[in-house]
Amino acid sequence: MPQLRLTGRGLWITALIVPPLAFVALFVVYPIISAFAYAFFDWNGLLRGEFVGLDNFHTVLFVEPYASWTRNAFSHNIIVFFALMVLQNGLGFFLAYALWRELPGARFHRIAVFLPVVLSTIIVGYLFKLFLHPLFGVVNISLRGMGLGELAQPWLGQSSTALWALIAANAWHMVGFPTLVFLAGMQRIPTEMLDAVRMETRSEWVKITKIVWPLVAPSATVVFVLLFVGAFNWFELPYVMAGLDGSPFGSTDVLGLYFYRTAFGNVSSGQQDFGLGSALAVLIFLFIAVIAGLITVRLRAREIQL
Amino acid sequence: MARLNLRGVKKRFKSTEVLHGIDLDIGDREFVVFVGPSGCGKSTLLRLIAGLDPISEGEFMLNGRRMNEVHPSQRGIAMVFQSYALYPHMDVYENMAFGARLMGLSKTEVEARIAQTARMLQLEPLLKRRPRELSGGQRQRVAIGRALVRKPEVFLLDEPLSNLDAALRSEVRLEIARLHREIGGTMIYVTHDQVEAMTLADRIVVMNAGRIEQVGSPRELYETPANLFVATFIGSPKMAVISAERTGNALAVAGATVPLARLPAGDGSLRIGIRPDAIRLQRTPTEGSIPATVVYTEYLGENAFVYARLVDGTLVGIRTTPNDLYEPDASVGLLLDNDAIHFFSAQDGRRLPA
Repeated sequence: MPQLRLTGRGLWITALIVPPLAFVALFVVYPIISAFAYAFFDWNGLLRGEFVGLDNFHTVLFVEPYASWTRNAFSHNIIVFFALMVLQNGLGFFLAYALWRELPGARFHRIAVFLPVVLSTIIVGYLFKLFLHPLFGVVNISLRGMGLGELAQPWLGQSSTALWALIAANAWHMVGFPTLVFLAGMQRIPTEMLDAVRMETRSEWVKITKIVWPLVAPSATVVFVLLFVGAFNWFELPYVMAGLDGSPFGSTDVLGLYFYRTAFGNVSSGQQDFGLGSALAVLIFLFIAVIAGLITVRLRAREIQL
Repeated sequence: MARLNLRGVKKRFKSTEVLHGIDLDIGDREFVVFVGPSGCGKSTLLRLIAGLDPISEGEFMLNGRRMNEVHPSQRGIAMVFQSYALYPHMDVYENMAFGARLMGLSKTEVEARIAQTARMLQLEPLLKRRPRELSGGQRQRVAIGRALVRKPEVFLLDEPLSNLDAALRSEVRLEIARLHREIGGTMIYVTHDQVEAMTLADRIVVMNAGRIEQVGSPRELYETPANLFVATFIGSPKMAVISAERTGNALAVAGATVPLARLPAGDGSLRIGIRPDAIRLQRTPTEGSIPATVVYTEYLGENAFVYARLVDGTLVGIRTTPNDLYEPDASVGLLLDNDAIHFFSAQDGRRLPA
């Protein structure tokens, strides 16, 4: 039977692993578990009240006005997810394809496309708020300059466009990430295989849909999962651009903002409920974990050995 | 019917010219092998014929029709790649059906063609497998099958055997020869392996540094190489090339004077080439034999090769029988078979008629 001895090497490994493990346990695992626990209690400010079972969950899901707030925020997350799937990942795929084909200026564009990804979300949010300013924003000024003044909108100020403005900002910010992943996937395709396709068809479309996409799809798994997690944890960008209330009139409210408001309160509402907030957090966590797990398993099955 | 004509075909990558004007005619149902050392341009030439790279200058005609601007998929040409380039996400059937469907063939026609091809290549039990579940030889057959299904007029094969192990290589080589007989298409085959070239080709195109050195049947190339490059490239072990000086009816070769009945016209320096089987070894040098020192002996079972160094430093390979072995450093005499000596110009390496 092998004995567990603290040799010099083992000591080193232990010394290097224990601190980060302790850190993660203290600041990640413990809060998650305590959030689970908090969700089952009644809260009076920061004072823990009595055990209420699943009451908090019931309230956020079925009792008005929480139920409609939850539905509203959740529906926005779904819109964000699908919109970003098309805009961010779809655009990313075609950008990657263009970069991969080594069109003129590919080197410059490879950097240009990825550069926004390294910017802080706070900065991007602030910049887009300026861009989209109804009077002084570069978007409306450009539209008026091109004689399209009637298209100028108070983008962030009206319910019909606010969420889409945020989505566009997010797509601009993050499109470099799927581009990079797809590009890496495309660069793994052997050139002889592409030659083989060219011997069989001249259609770029057939080549993309029948050969390139299926071969790149495995790298899409990670992009899809991360986008899904990101879309349902969406917080910073709407917080910076639309505020905690998801203004105007909750049209940009998403689960992240809603949870934060409920748990920690807000200047405008003043109410605060740890129990409801924790229940929301647990629901969001479970939803993301289950669906992300399913996506991963489902897409993994399709992965192809090159 | 497939006749290919290349006229002054050049290929440049940026400012580097890699093919310097290729003229070549290939007839219907011919099996032509491009052979040459790495970097000689043989694969580039194949890619120009396929249309995978554009022709910089000159013209490529297929059945009298200019092909320079025609897309690879429209040329009636199929190609088998060195790495096989099978689509990893499709099974064998789909790999073969992909190109056939894109040609606009009906479903039943595609099925019929695949069934026929699968039978010919013994792929029937493998049709539902993915490429990664196949052995190298099986993948090779699928790659060939994929080309066959399209019923092209011209088959291009780019070093198709180089990823196979030695035993399988000779097996697939026979298979390819059989296929050529059965389907009778024009085949162009690229290899750096002269055994493949000699065994498969109707005609061999020997290339070097972006130029064609010689075109001819395997026998022509072996028996009457046009220049020193072809002479030393074809045949194994290599033909020995020795500098010689002609004086009257004799050759001064590496410290010996060899009287010869058959010599090219004119006096002066020339180069002679002798294949390993055109030399007899003497244990004690006599008049008219070239003195040499044995370096080492290769025993190959049915025969043996002795490598000996002449006084001018040239290494010469000589075929002997397995019972006729020599110790290193032994002094020997080399007797040349006059009829089998090749003469080349000392200036440009061209063959000199004798």
